[in-house]
Amino acid sequence: MAQCVQSVQELIPDSFVPCVAALCSDEAERLTRLNHLSFAELLKPFSRLTSEVHMRDPNNQLHIIKNLKIAVSNIITQPPQPGAIRKLLNDVVSGSQPAEGLVANVITAGDYDLNISATTPWFESYRETFLQSMPASDHEFLNHYLACMLVASSSEAEPVEQFSKLSQEQHRIQHNSDYSYPKWFIPNTLKYYVLLHDVSAGDEQRAESIYEEMKQKYGTQGCYLLKINSRTSNRASDEQIPDPWSQYLQKNSIQNQESYEDGPCTITSNKNSDSNLLSLDGLDNEVKDGLPNNFRAHPLQLDSSSDASNSIDGPDHVKSASSLHETKKANTGIIHGACLTLTDHDRIRQFIQEFTFRGLLPHIEKTIRQLNDQLISRKGLSRSLFSATKKWFSGSKVPEKSINELKNTSGLLYPPEAPELQIRKMADLCFLVQHYDLAYSCYHTAKKDFLNDQAMLYAAGALEMAAVSAFLQPGAPRPYPAHYMDTAIQTYRDICKNMVLAERCVLLSAEILKSQSKYSEAAALLIRLTSEDSDLRSALLLEQAAHCFINMKSPMVRKYAFHMILAGHRFSKAGQKKHALRCYCQAMQVYKGKGWSLAEDHINFTIGRQSYTLRQLDNAVSAFRHILINESKQSAAQQGAFLREYLYVYKNVSQLSPDGPLPQLPLPYINSSATRVFFGHDRRPADGEKQAATHVSLDQEYDSESSQQWRELEEQVVAVVNRGVVPSNFYPTQYCLSSYSDNSRFPLAVVEEPITVEVAFRNPLKVPLLLTDLSLLWKFQPKDTSGKDNEEVKELARLKLFPHHIGELHILGVVYNLGTIQGCMTVDGIGSLPGCHTGKHSLSMSVRGRQDLEIQGPRLNNTKEEKTSIKYGPDRRLDPIITEEMPLLEVFFIHFPTGLLCGEIRKAYVEFVNVSKSPLTGLKVVSKRPEFFTFGGNTAVLTPLSPSASENCSAYKTVATDSTAVCTALISSASSVDFGIGIGSQPEVIPVPLPDTVLLPGASVQLPMWLRGPDEEGVHEINFLFYYESVKKQPKIRHRILRHTAVICTSRSLNVRATVCRSNSLEDEEGRGGNMLVFVDVENTNTSEAGVKEFHIVQVSSSSKHWKFQKSVNLSENKDAKLASREKGKFCFKAIRCKEKEVATQSSEKYTFADIIFGNEQIISSASPCADFFYRSLSSELKKPQAQPSVHTEKQSLEDAVRLIQKCSEVDLNIVVLWKAYVVEDSKQLILEGQHHVILRTIGKEAFSCPQKQEPPEMELLKFFRPENTTVPLRPSVEQLSNLIKTSLHYPESFNHPFHQKSLCLVPVTLLLSNCSKADVDVIVDLRHKTTSPEALEIHGSFTWLGQTQYKLQLKSQEIHSLQLKACFVHTGVYNLGTPRVFAKLSDQVTVFETSQQNSMPALIIINNV
Amino acid sequence: MSGSFYFVIVGHHDHPVFEMEFLPAGKPESKDHHHHLNQFLAHAALDHIDENMWLSDNMYLKTVDKFNEWLVSAFVTAEHMRCIILHETRKKKNFFTGFYDLYRKFAMNPFYEAISPIPSNAFDRKVQFLGKKHLLS
Repeated sequence: MAQCVQSVQELIPDSFVPCVAALCSDEAERLTRLNHLSFAELLKPFSRLTSEVHMRDPNNQLHIIKNLKIAVSNIITQPPQPGAIRKLLNDVVSGSQPAEGLVANVITAGDYDLNISATTPWFESYRETFLQSMPASDHEFLNHYLACMLVASSSEAEPVEQFSKLSQEQHRIQHNSDYSYPKWFIPNTLKYYVLLHDVSAGDEQRAESIYEEMKQKYGTQGCYLLKINSRTSNRASDEQIPDPWSQYLQKNSIQNQESYEDGPCTITSNKNSDSNLLSLDGLDNEVKDGLPNNFRAHPLQLDSSSDASNSIDGPDHVKSASSLHETKKANTGIIHGACLTLTDHDRIRQFIQEFTFRGLLPHIEKTIRQLNDQLISRKGLSRSLFSATKKWFSGSKVPEKSINELKNTSGLLYPPEAPELQIRKMADLCFLVQHYDLAYSCYHTAKKDFLNDQAMLYAAGALEMAAVSAFLQPGAPRPYPAHYMDTAIQTYRDICKNMVLAERCVLLSAEILKSQSKYSEAAALLIRLTSEDSDLRSALLLEQAAHCFINMKSPMVRKYAFHMILAGHRFSKAGQKKHALRCYCQAMQVYKGKGWSLAEDHINFTIGRQSYTLRQLDNAVSAFRHILINESKQSAAQQGAFLREYLYVYKNVSQLSPDGPLPQLPLPYINSSATRVFFGHDRRPADGEKQAATHVSLDQEYDSESSQQWRELEEQVVAVVNRGVVPSNFYPTQYCLSSYSDNSRFPLAVVEEPITVEVAFRNPLKVPLLLTDLSLLWKFQPKDTSGKDNEEVKELARLKLFPHHIGELHILGVVYNLGTIQGCMTVDGIGSLPGCHTGKHSLSMSVRGRQDLEIQGPRLNNTKEEKTSIKYGPDRRLDPIITEEMPLLEVFFIHFPTGLLCGEIRKAYVEFVNVSKSPLTGLKVVSKRPEFFTFGGNTAVLTPLSPSASENCSAYKTVATDSTAVCTALISSASSVDFGIGIGSQPEVIPVPLPDTVLLPGASVQLPMWLRGPDEEGVHEINFLFYYESVKKQPKIRHRILRHTAVICTSRSLNVRATVCRSNSLEDEEGRGGNMLVFVDVENTNTSEAGVKEFHIVQVSSSSKHWKFQKSVNLSENKDAKLASREKGKFCFKAIRCKEKEVATQSSEKYTFADIIFGNEQIISSASPCADFFYRSLSSELKKPQAQPSVHTEKQSLEDAVRLIQKCSEVDLNIVVLWKAYVVEDSKQLILEGQHHVILRTIGKEAFSCPQKQEPPEMELLKFFRPENTTVPLRPSVEQLSNLIKTSLHYPESFNHPFHQKSLCLVPVTLLLSNCSKADVDVIVDLRHKTTSPEALEIHGSFTWLGQTQYKLQLKSQEIHSLQLKACFVHTGVYNLGTPRVFAKLSDQVTVFETSQQNSMPALIIINNV
Repeated sequence: MSGSFYFVIVGHHDHPVFEMEFLPAGKPESKDHHHHLNQFLAHAALDHIDENMWLSDNMYLKTVDKFNEWLVSAFVTAEHMRCIILHETRKKKNFFTGFYDLYRKFAMNPFYEAISPIPSNAFDRKVQFLGKKHLLS
């Protein structure tokens, strides 16, 4: 229980005081009315004695009474109506609220720190009023009238007459059977005659004389002259007189007071008041006779359906509360005791003193004595016998039943003057005069009697008072008999069904237990009395129980919270909204943030609702907000209800302050970091054949890999523009800002170009939310001119801004209407956010509010300070700077294919459009795959044919030839510089050949663009980055970019392999060893799914700085070189060195092209686009990393030698195979063209047109030791060495010799040795047979070389030397002449590299006999 | 409540770590069933559990609290996790024993941060099974 102002030792005596009736004449009443007080009220502030009183008990012992208080009240002949009492109590409780700004105690228990107000003044007021308004009952006498004051006025005509009239009236009330109420203590009531005298108006003399008369008639002890109204009311304001009445009257008897003012409502006269009151405060007054805690309805029910209308739509309670407030105000205006001076106050005090000393106490003393005498006279009889006889004689009324069987009766009823009650009377009297020893023994005796008689009500009363008086006994001779109280409570409640008495018992007992720190017992007691019949009582008791829990030695915080909730629930049922709210708020401290979400929701909901009805809208909003923003475990229906309520409250709040700032809405969640900002127009969809550049859009998912690629591309192009260096202040252009992009800088937006903001909403609820009228909030700081932006809502989640002036823009948040959709619970809650814009849903309720977009930047992690603390960088994606106009390029592709054969050449057109108002220049395109496309070289004819006109033409530049000149090559030459290759180190950056390098506003240019299908089959994504600048330099934006991603699907076509080898023949015109044979294998690898019928090889061209095709050798019969599916063709070409002088005059970048034609028209391979793609493939080949052997300086000479040796097997010959493919598509024959490139570098090594797929390297075991640095001495391989010297034997193929004439046949053989290297070579030729195997001997044994068998020669660079040898044969047959072994070594090297030069092929000779 | 059970594990700072309701099979959830009451009752019983657990050497504390017809049984693990069942009848010892077996294994998981909410579906299923076996049958 909470702390109280009064201690229990004060409380109980004050609760049970001697009662005195007052019966006034009309005239006397009129006198007191001048002070706006009744007579009883007049006396009230003075009814406590200031001095001790002495009294003698029956044993003639002196007994001291301290602080005695008497209660004087007007005679009311009706018992108080329960409804009226209830109403009174209700008003008392609602009138007493915790003081504003009261500092609450902080209680720390375990983890909890709670702010709890230690006092509960409403409970004390309630208790006081409750105890005072107890109706008198028959089984106890404590509040029966002991005496009666008869009051008349001195101004009356016949005062003495009036007194006797009053006396008769009193007698009639007490003894006439018409009046069962009020109750009187004993038949012989003390009458005390009071003469009121109005000092200001009345005749003092007369009063005195009347008083003298009275004294003679009633004795000096039985009458009193009370002089009042010394002051005339008109000079009321002159002096400040304290108003002792206000604290008594205002607090608890507003209703009484009012009853005098407007008659119909008086308690005495109006029996209907009960029902009136009922309707007024909406209390459930139906008394259910149920056991406590046996709730029919759930105590914590969220009865939203019934309550909603009550609490929100019907402000009944508010009205009643406010009307109450008004009456209270009216009352405060009345000044009580306006006619009384301080002397009058003293006179009244004196009067009470006199009455008590001279009248009341002697009367009580006498009565006790009489009762005691009666009891002693009865003591002679044995008590047991007495009761035994009674049992026999009145068997019917004393059933021997257990307590439980007496459920429906309260036991027997004694007549008012029954002897059994005399002892109770005496006990009560003793109790009233604070003689607790005597009272206890009397109660104890009475209790036994009543129990014996099974008079349960009486017994309970005796038990109760016995316990109380035992507690109050001075010196505490015995412990407080709590079980007495328990029995009494149980009896009152269960057997007598008298909750009022049970309640009194509980209140007293709990207070006593509290004073003994038995909090848990007190709590149990309080909880046990909560029942359905009175919500107010239950609420107050539960609250006190909660306080008991928190006051325990180890505070039970959670119990406290739970009982506070229960109390709050009951308060709200009792209409005590403020108290309910307070209770819930106090309990909330315990539940908050602990994760008991359902409980927390319930509390928040109740707090919200109560706050709303109390017009504390801000609190209501925040409470409802809590329910919605936490991850709710409620069902969808419940969430819907919460949401509707929240919106309703919110609406009310916003209606109160329509001009105020828009409220922040909690729903839906905005995932701020997922906000994306896009600068620029939306992409135009494909327009007919035109296909717009894909550029950037919000629909694209972020891909870190590709964004990195784009960034690299931009860096490349910027580096090229800035002469190879990327400027330090370069930042990649970002058109779409998201959480992945670098947002540390203010983004730049261009004026007159839209800014799109994408906001990510998330609905945490299971019910759909309806957002309407969504728009952005922004702030704009114009730079030079003031202007306003246009605002436009595009989609539900994508919002567009259109800046019209340059300056700084700040996007602050979003504004929207939040609503619910009624009656469409079937809609899936999540994801139904957008698109509910159809308008067929009736808008139930919606509020306008805002949510700010605040984006936290990335966490900083650079300095130590940042690492140790948690700091976040700025995120400026919502604060763009609007800059001046920039050109804006749009790119369209016309006839752009989606599928190509590998190597296929296709001509497409690109259209560049400048859609802005400023000219653009410096247009460049950069791509990782420059070999994929070309705009044509400088030599190309820049007459852009319209795309439609060139539709059926070949992509190549052709010249018709006559078919006779088939075999020989047609020579042309071109420089790679013309084709944009080899300018810088960045072949990826390609300037777009705009006609006059500037694209004017609104202008558009169409340029041809050749595409070549990539060599690998599959789907290729090719990124183009178009770069352009403004003509006038902008300080902020130097350039702009446009992205395009082309997707090309390639399918297999041809596979070309080529090898080159030295020709053995010496049929060189110049007679120098420089002939080579090129073998080209072409395979049709197309699987003909695409309807490709056949490939025709139309031309094979060579391209090299040093070599050229001379002619086609061994041209096959099919001149067209057709290749059907999976067919393979072989070509052989002879290549020769270009003329030396030619080579010298040409720049090193000059390539010689030689075309060998198989068709009837020549494709000029040195022109666009053929040469373009050739150079591009060449440069991409060059880009590939070459495995360079590591350089060791100490072996420099060796290195050189090896390089020399290697060099002689190198060749730089490139082959371009041009083909046509006949394709049937939609029963239409199409001719596709294409080209393949083979780059030959090494003699004898196969080269491929398409990169060979490499086997994935096998998994290697991880080795955890350092590999030893084994430097193998660099040696040229045998194969390389064997290419140093080229040998060929010249001899007749068949030789006829007459063996019968001459047995020896001599054949001259020429051995040609040619040095392939650029260095001098020592050569040793050994003709001796060195074959070891006997079979070889057998075969070759029959021929022998004649003459010198070993030659030592030195060959200069590229020198050809011929040796004349003679072979001698003795038989006919076929002989292999290739037996000479040639050893070669570089002449400046001493020992190394002597190795045999092998003859590539057998040299067979046929010797015939003629 | 009518034959249903409410089971909750409460962590050291009075946070619910794991919650589950067991409804008897075939009985639809009554309309005026108030889930939050379960939480209120279980939470209020913590005071008694904290008091009782030092008075007994058993982990199973039997019935520690009651409110109207609901009884609150409790079981305190070695690390002072308080497991609470709200029920109307019968003793719940078997369930607690079974549950404790399960919980110990779960708590051993090094990836489970002790006393944090248990978001595991598998755990959910297993407790559900235990409930069916010991409480509802």
